[in-house]
Amino acid sequence: MYNEKGGEIRMRRVFLLMLFGVVTFGLWSLGAQPNVAVYVYNSEVMIFWDPSDTYSNEIIAMNNMYEQLIRYDPFTDSFQPVLAESYEKSADGLTWTFYLRKGVKFHTGNELTAEAVKFSIERTIERGMGASYIWAPVEEIEVVDRYTVRFHLKYPAPLDLIASGAYAAFVFDPEYSDHEWFAAGHDSGTGPYTVEAWKPGDYLILKRFDDYWRGWEGNHFDKVIFKVVPEPSTRRLMLEAGTADYTNMLPITEIEALKDNPEVEIVTTPSFQNLLALFNTRKPPLDNVLVRRALAYTIPYQDIIDGVRFGYARQSRGVVPYGLWGYSDRVKQYTYSLEAARFYLAQAGYPKGGFKLLLTHVAGDEDERRVAELWKSTLAKLGIELEIRGMPWEAQVELGQAPDPTKRQDIFLFYWWPDYPHPHSFLREMFGTRDEILFNFTYYSNPLFDELIARAEELAGIDRAEAINLYVEAQNILMEEAPGVAIYDLKYARAKRTSLKGYVDNPAYPHVVFWYECWREE
Amino acid sequence: MGIYVYVTRRLLLSLVVLFGVSILTFLLTRVVPSRPEILWVGPRATAEQIAKAREILGLDKPLYQQYLMYIGAFVRGDWGISIRTKQPVLRDIASRLPASLELILVSMFLAVLFGLPLGILSAAKAGTVLDHLGRLVSVAGVALPAFWLGMILQLVFAKELKLLPLAERVDTITLLLHPVKHITGFYLIDSLLSGNFVVFVDALKHLVLPAVTLSTYPLGLTVRMARATLLEVLGEDYIRTARAYGLREAKVLGKYALKNALGPVITVLALTFAYSLAATFLVESVFAWPGLGRYASEAIMVVDYPAIMGITMLVAFTYVALNLIVDVMLAVLDPRVRLE
Repeated sequence: MYNEKGGEIRMRRVFLLMLFGVVTFGLWSLGAQPNVAVYVYNSEVMIFWDPSDTYSNEIIAMNNMYEQLIRYDPFTDSFQPVLAESYEKSADGLTWTFYLRKGVKFHTGNELTAEAVKFSIERTIERGMGASYIWAPVEEIEVVDRYTVRFHLKYPAPLDLIASGAYAAFVFDPEYSDHEWFAAGHDSGTGPYTVEAWKPGDYLILKRFDDYWRGWEGNHFDKVIFKVVPEPSTRRLMLEAGTADYTNMLPITEIEALKDNPEVEIVTTPSFQNLLALFNTRKPPLDNVLVRRALAYTIPYQDIIDGVRFGYARQSRGVVPYGLWGYSDRVKQYTYSLEAARFYLAQAGYPKGGFKLLLTHVAGDEDERRVAELWKSTLAKLGIELEIRGMPWEAQVELGQAPDPTKRQDIFLFYWWPDYPHPHSFLREMFGTRDEILFNFTYYSNPLFDELIARAEELAGIDRAEAINLYVEAQNILMEEAPGVAIYDLKYARAKRTSLKGYVDNPAYPHVVFWYECWREE
Repeated sequence: MGIYVYVTRRLLLSLVVLFGVSILTFLLTRVVPSRPEILWVGPRATAEQIAKAREILGLDKPLYQQYLMYIGAFVRGDWGISIRTKQPVLRDIASRLPASLELILVSMFLAVLFGLPLGILSAAKAGTVLDHLGRLVSVAGVALPAFWLGMILQLVFAKELKLLPLAERVDTITLLLHPVKHITGFYLIDSLLSGNFVVFVDALKHLVLPAVTLSTYPLGLTVRMARATLLEVLGEDYIRTARAYGLREAKVLGKYALKNALGPVITVLALTFAYSLAATFLVESVFAWPGLGRYASEAIMVVDYPAIMGITMLVAFTYVALNLIVDVMLAVLDPRVRLE
């Protein structure tokens, strides 16, 4: 009897203990649930690990691991202090002094100093990879004291725009800057997050850096997972199911399908990216300015925006995209007008058309293909035959760089975006006179135009308004001579969970979510 | 001929095959118009950057020299650096192979588990409703586009019924909470070995939809092959004799007919396995499965030639090895098979 009762008590104790165990474990696991955000991305996230070389997808993660001296806000055309608390430039725009924030730690535990800034930027310039050329105006970097760094320039370039670049402007710990060490999946930045785990082709996990200089007060994510999910419909379903918080790009059809889901929000922002059709100005019949003008009138701009982009774009004006400084209403704009096209074709001696053009675009880009198809149908009305050829990017470039201009394409269709928020690359790279063809697939050369954009670039650091005037003038030359036309400025349509708050789509940092500034509202 | 002589001869022949495959693939990847140096430095490279990249990648040397350099390094275990991922190809492949193998093995298991009985039944009950069903399954299995089936399964079982996970190998957050030690790279095995049942169950759940999707093709093949070879065997004299002796039909089928009918099924399955290594990319894409197939397709899209070479060599090696193993196995199982 005693034994039985004792056994019963023991059993009950064991049961209670088990119950306690289960409950505490349950509570513990609930409490231990980390605050994690998930970004689903269509391809491999980490390509370049070296912060000096970065030039690809990885910027979506890198901008959370590393920081620049300052960050650019294109909506207000102003700069926010990041690693530099403040900065000043000399009256001639040739000397820029940055005053660093004190007590900032790298993920390695070392402190941020002016030496580290000098080392980082000089290493980036020396390696000469990726977008390192943005530092071309820099003559010398001087360490004034432990927390002050001064840049001496060759000409008055806008160094604030360069120093805030999404690529090539990261500051890292000189002690941990071995290329191989980076490539093995390490980081040595000052950003809010640092690498926790990386499985190539699968995921990258960042965890919060406890000693981050802005602290962890308030609502922030503890970890961020970047997940590689190539199939758009799977990304969409993951967003709907709540297993993903954010995706940067979805086909417009998927975006349209998500519109009515209250749990998912579509964020649209004008981008700094535009679709351009570059005309081969060295090959008949497009060597004739009248034919080029006619062609600019044959593009069905509105049909393209409605039918291809479902409204997620606006017709370009000039070649600098809307939202980027240098864009102006004073620049002329082509409209769709077959009458005007017929007029110019007749003047050029092609009243019935009767010629064939080859358009190349990147294979697999559905938008580009559909733009070309729509254009083909309007050209057909004028007796112009358009051959559309989708090619791998490298092959498209190779054809564009063929030594004999007559062997090249007639129309080069592609997207352009700036490496840092400056209109210069839109004008110089595609329309500036070049000894060697890199991206000047118009093969255009106009000394007056070259002179205007060179002066504009030199003024950009000291007299922005005058620089804009010159850029407007230069763009109007392009409209007149039509070596190419920008068709539309892309609007980004991001899909995110409605519960994800704090997200701002900054086109100066394309596809980047600054996760420190975001949180989830339960 | 003794089995050892046979195996040695086959191994030597395999080397010749692999050598041939390496030359052919190397030539093909280099004849295709592509600019690996542009991919290496990024889309906006300057002329100097491109020239430097050509030098680093050895593209400035004659093709035969490039091949010799490649193959020399290859046999020493240096499979080159992927132009797309900038990582050593061998490491890239090693990190993706377990994911593919886990998926393929489970799908093969499902194919045999369901395909074999269905094929046998189909042959045993030839001409009946059951047989028609078996044939329908086999045709559908082979003909259904796997990616489409995958999406339908996702819609039904993940989105609507919420029974199974949508995609991925394992829930990353679960993995964060319950880390698994990397031992084999197979989540099922690693989680079991480390006693981590939460991840085991999660990984198993994640496997169901992609494995079912991927199993349809080998399943259809198994049913068809098993049915066809079994029907052939069942028509033979010794089976008639066995039946005349009054042996039970189950014994005739299971003991006498099946053994002789299995050879071709095994051969076909082994080859499907090798083929699946790189051909699963559609299923891997739909299910965000970080496997070799997806790696292969991404490499092909941008003509990442070191990666393409690596995968091709791996698949070729698997083909050759499996073929050899199957042949030897069949010879051991069936004394009538001569090794010549």
